[in-house]
Amino acid sequence: MISFDFFVQEGCVVDEMRSEIASALEGVCANELGCDSGPTAMSWTVIRKGFGFRGGRPSTTSLVRGRIPDGCDPQTRARFLRAVGKEWCRITGATEHEVVVSARDWSWAG
Amino acid sequence: MPFYRCLIPKGSLSYEQREQIAVAFTDVHCDNSAAPRNFVQVAFIESTGKGEVKDSHGRGMLPYDTPYFIAGGNRAGRSTEVKRRILDGCIERLVQISGAPRKDVSGHISEAPASWTMEAGKILPDPGEEPSEWYD
Repeated sequence: MISFDFFVQEGCVVDEMRSEIASALEGVCANELGCDSGPTAMSWTVIRKGFGFRGGRPSTTSLVRGRIPDGCDPQTRARFLRAVGKEWCRITGATEHEVVVSARDWSWAG
Repeated sequence: MPFYRCLIPKGSLSYEQREQIAVAFTDVHCDNSAAPRNFVQVAFIESTGKGEVKDSHGRGMLPYDTPYFIAGGNRAGRSTEVKRRILDGCIERLVQISGAPRKDVSGHISEAPASWTMEAGKILPDPGEEPSEWYD
């Protein structure tokens, strides 16, 4: 199982992009983590205008917080993060400074 | 990487208060870590005052039963004392700026290894191993 929680600033990712993002990230999961990594669940949280800040200033940054199967080696995880970030920027038009991508182990307690 | 979701009652804070709190959380985090200010993300989410919120850095849900709740997520590797100072500092500043009673504010900070996150196209280093170019 893989999941992604997206936290996006209102107006930065239009609704029409969501299906393209979902399709692209499923492809990244298959390519980088293998077909056995299971289905992908995705949830979206839109942070209202005036409710999101970065460094104390209004933010245009999105957070892509993934959970992936345990046991991923560092090189594969880094490739995965970069591939997710690249697809995110390609589809949304964001710069690499406007997206934070993470992928934690599925069983990581936090 | 530092990501603070601040759950607040609907309509409770003005834009100016939210901005002040975001600056205050940034101050608290950066006073207790080597993170650049520009890395600190604060999001306000209006809620009904009790329930649970998905853990952004771990598995499962974080339950809360106060009107204000800080759900933080940071890089792993800091001492328990530093983590306590960060959470206590954020709660204290939220109370000061919002005017909410202390008993109405709670919080939790989860952590995940730095190398599990990419920011500005770079895999993050562990706390204490920040490169000098972060501060240029």
